[in-house]
Amino acid sequence: MSDSDGVLLARLERWRRPLGVVLALLVLAYALSVWTAPIDRVQGVIQKILYVHPPLAYGAYLGFVLTALGGALYLWRGRDAWDHLAMAGAEVGVIFCTLMMVTGPIWAKGTWGHWWSWDPRLTLTLLLWFVYASYLLLRGFTEGAERTARFAAIYGILGTLLVPLNYFVIELFQGRSMHPENLSRGSLGSGMGWPFLVGNLTLFVAFVYCVLLRWEVELRRARLALRADAWEGA
Amino acid sequence: MSYALAAYAITAGTLGFYLWLLHRERSRLASLDR
Repeated sequence: MSDSDGVLLARLERWRRPLGVVLALLVLAYALSVWTAPIDRVQGVIQKILYVHPPLAYGAYLGFVLTALGGALYLWRGRDAWDHLAMAGAEVGVIFCTLMMVTGPIWAKGTWGHWWSWDPRLTLTLLLWFVYASYLLLRGFTEGAERTARFAAIYGILGTLLVPLNYFVIELFQGRSMHPENLSRGSLGSGMGWPFLVGNLTLFVAFVYCVLLRWEVELRRARLALRADAWEGA
Repeated sequence: MSYALAAYAITAGTLGFYLWLLHRERSRLASLDR
């Protein structure tokens, strides 16, 4: 591990700790705002899933974009820390994507009457999940090889092409999708904007906190592995 | 009510458990690094 990785590790710790306090306060504000949010006249209480389902989707998208960004920086700079960031982004992204794919069907069961539909958005989301779950499997089975890191970086960059496609697929299918349209300004009912904003902010901070912590874990693992190699070589 | 509650409980439980696992691993690695 280089000196710059040691500095990065110290910085990550310094940023993560106050962020944890902010996250704890936001979770309280989030719980309160969802609890007091108005009940939808058509769907009833189940509509409150709106304050968790789209923010989880945005977190998944961010995770996958971070994987591509980390991979691109790794290919450009050759520094292992960027590869570790790509891994952290993929893992947190897959967790957010999994939760999005759990909360969505719960909402669907209560409103559409069934858990799943082979709708374009849902099908593409499942594909996106498989692409990044495969990325994690690839990284899990092949540890530390430079060739694997380079392959994973290219895979992660290509995989991220699915993100805009996933977001805009409803517009592409023009009304033939069962999934509701993407939210736009003014599409939320009265009193629903605030809890939606707090939900997005809370899950965004949770996402950043998870990525920083996961990145720190990966940097520490690499540092210990390097030390063990040096010990064996001595 | 139960559907919405289930969605929030699963999200909070999963993210809480994941954070706990990460913190535990970080502490273990930090103790080895001393």
